[in-house]
Amino acid sequence: MSLLSVRNLVIDYARTRALDGAGLEVAQGESVGVVGESGSGKSTLGSAVGRLLPRAARRTEGEVLVAGEPVFDLPAARLRHLRRKHLGFVFQDPIGSLDPTMRVGDQLRLVLGRGGDVRFHLGRVRLDDPRVLRAYPHQLSGGMAQRVAIAMAMATSPDLLVADEPTAALDSQVREEVSDVIFTLAAEAGTSILWLSHDLPAVARRCDRVAVMYGGRVVESGPAAQVLGHPAHPYTAALARSAPAAAAHGVRLEPVPGRPPVLTGPSPGCAFAPRCAFAEDRCAHERPAPVRVREQDVLCHKAIELEDRLTAPIEPAPIEPAPIEPAPIEPAPIEPAPNTTEVTA
Amino acid sequence: MRLLMWWSGRALSSAATLLGVSVLIFAAVRLMPGGFAETVLGPFATPEQKAELAARYGLDQPVFVQYGHWLAAVAGGDFGFSMISRQPVGAELLARLPITAELTVLAVAASVLLGVPLGVLTAVRARPTGGGAAGRLLSGLGVSVPEFVLGSLVVFVFSRYALGLQVGSWVPLTRDPAANLATMILPAAVLSVFSISVTARTTRDAVMGVLVEPYVTAAVGRGESPWSIVRHHILRNAATPVVTLIGTTTAYLLGGALIVEHVFNLPGVGSYIVQAVGRRDYAVVQAGVLLAAGVFIVMNVLIDLLVGAIDPRLGVMAGRRA
Repeated sequence: MSLLSVRNLVIDYARTRALDGAGLEVAQGESVGVVGESGSGKSTLGSAVGRLLPRAARRTEGEVLVAGEPVFDLPAARLRHLRRKHLGFVFQDPIGSLDPTMRVGDQLRLVLGRGGDVRFHLGRVRLDDPRVLRAYPHQLSGGMAQRVAIAMAMATSPDLLVADEPTAALDSQVREEVSDVIFTLAAEAGTSILWLSHDLPAVARRCDRVAVMYGGRVVESGPAAQVLGHPAHPYTAALARSAPAAAAHGVRLEPVPGRPPVLTGPSPGCAFAPRCAFAEDRCAHERPAPVRVREQDVLCHKAIELEDRLTAPIEPAPIEPAPIEPAPIEPAPIEPAPNTTEVTA
Repeated sequence: MRLLMWWSGRALSSAATLLGVSVLIFAAVRLMPGGFAETVLGPFATPEQKAELAARYGLDQPVFVQYGHWLAAVAGGDFGFSMISRQPVGAELLARLPITAELTVLAVAASVLLGVPLGVLTAVRARPTGGGAAGRLLSGLGVSVPEFVLGSLVVFVFSRYALGLQVGSWVPLTRDPAANLATMILPAAVLSVFSISVTARTTRDAVMGVLVEPYVTAAVGRGESPWSIVRHHILRNAATPVVTLIGTTTAYLLGGALIVEHVFNLPGVGSYIVQAVGRRDYAVVQAGVLLAAGVFIVMNVLIDLLVGAIDPRLGVMAGRRA
């Protein structure tokens, strides 16, 4: 049984549809990278795992199972227990995700409880300066704050760590160090990682598997090297070709033509069809069902036909030095304004 | 060093403010239509009688000379004599201050004890769609009904029907605390309606603002209970606007106390000043307004200190890195 199982999940905000039948499986101890453009539903998927969606969000269909428990159908107390025991979260804004009016040491102690060894947990994220304990979050650098957030998330050795672009707001030198800390701690604790990222090369290098999101669905998933090296979905191929950090010198970057969709209801066909070079009639009218191509699960009518015809420049070999965050491919649609998180849940 | 600089800066600006207020109020009481002589002597007094009275009180001198005399006396702690009762203003204000202070403290306590929990509760329980309409109506009503209307209504209802609480009488705190409280509770309630509403609304907005902060989402994600989140992460972070509001409201309540004391016939500072304005008792009005300005200034310094203690990013010593 997988640790995390997202099944046909549909999440609606007031007027936009953030997830349009997303599906994803994460096994115990595995690291899964979720990639896609801004607005593809990555963050919504990550938040949905812990039912941390803004208040305005509604689960219209589908379910999320964490360790077999249906996250969206649990009573409040059981949900809190599940979050405490099984889940950890690291967010994009490191300083913002720490309480600005509480000293770092006090925040850690709140998580660890009485008798928790604060120094030990800071040491694990390689923060050895004892002054950090007395500091307020605004006195820390982004990298230090993110290490504190990681220490708090990993203090309980959760089964699954959801990391929503944890390095996107950091300087490129710090990025690798912070990623190292996360993956090292997770490996020690046997924690699975759900890594939401724009950074395709980093995902290729660090994650066991990759899920590619487009229009609120996971359009392709499979082993990282396979998905990014030999894509089976035209969108994955286009995304990989447009990643600047991955391109060899002299290779032309190809932006994905058109812009990502903003859904207001279920997409009638394949959401990528208007931008797809291989689209045919039925792509616009018929929702693709999952097919198996090599080791990948793909949502594409033409996946079988296109097998071995799609290319991508991303090689899973390590790329040094640290890559630069790829620019958004196209102007991103405006995400629905975050509303109040349901504290009572 | 930095702290010393801050304090001396505050002291200087406070002194400047007080000086400005004193000029304004000195000019304002003299600009009121119907001067002291007219009010005391009535409409049929001859110009000679008026001139004689004015001369007796020094009102015939140029205004800036009068101001100079007054300022020198005030600086020495002498607020002069009431022109009506011939009693020293300072002593009279001091005797009446405890009543106004008690009234204000009761009203502020009610705002904190009722307004803050109400605001927190309505914010945390708020649903995304609709709701809160009843709360908005209530707080809107509480903000917009003037004290004299509510006060008169309460006085009428409680004097017309025997409801257990007396209105129109007053017992000193030192003689019988219980009886004193019984006479103060209605005026304090009337006075606090406004501030409870404003406090509840401001608290609600502040808490709603904090609820969307990523660190609250992070705390929810760690599985903290709603009560723990409110206690550890929300109260302190939402406190800045509420403390600022309560501080300014406290000073403002002193103004509201004017009317409430008058309506309920309490011998506080407020009713003293209201009577003095009616009779053009310049010395009393000047001293009263100066006192109110002083309270405002002290409250503002307190707010700044408190806000700095609450939020390390805003403190007097902010900017110092660990």
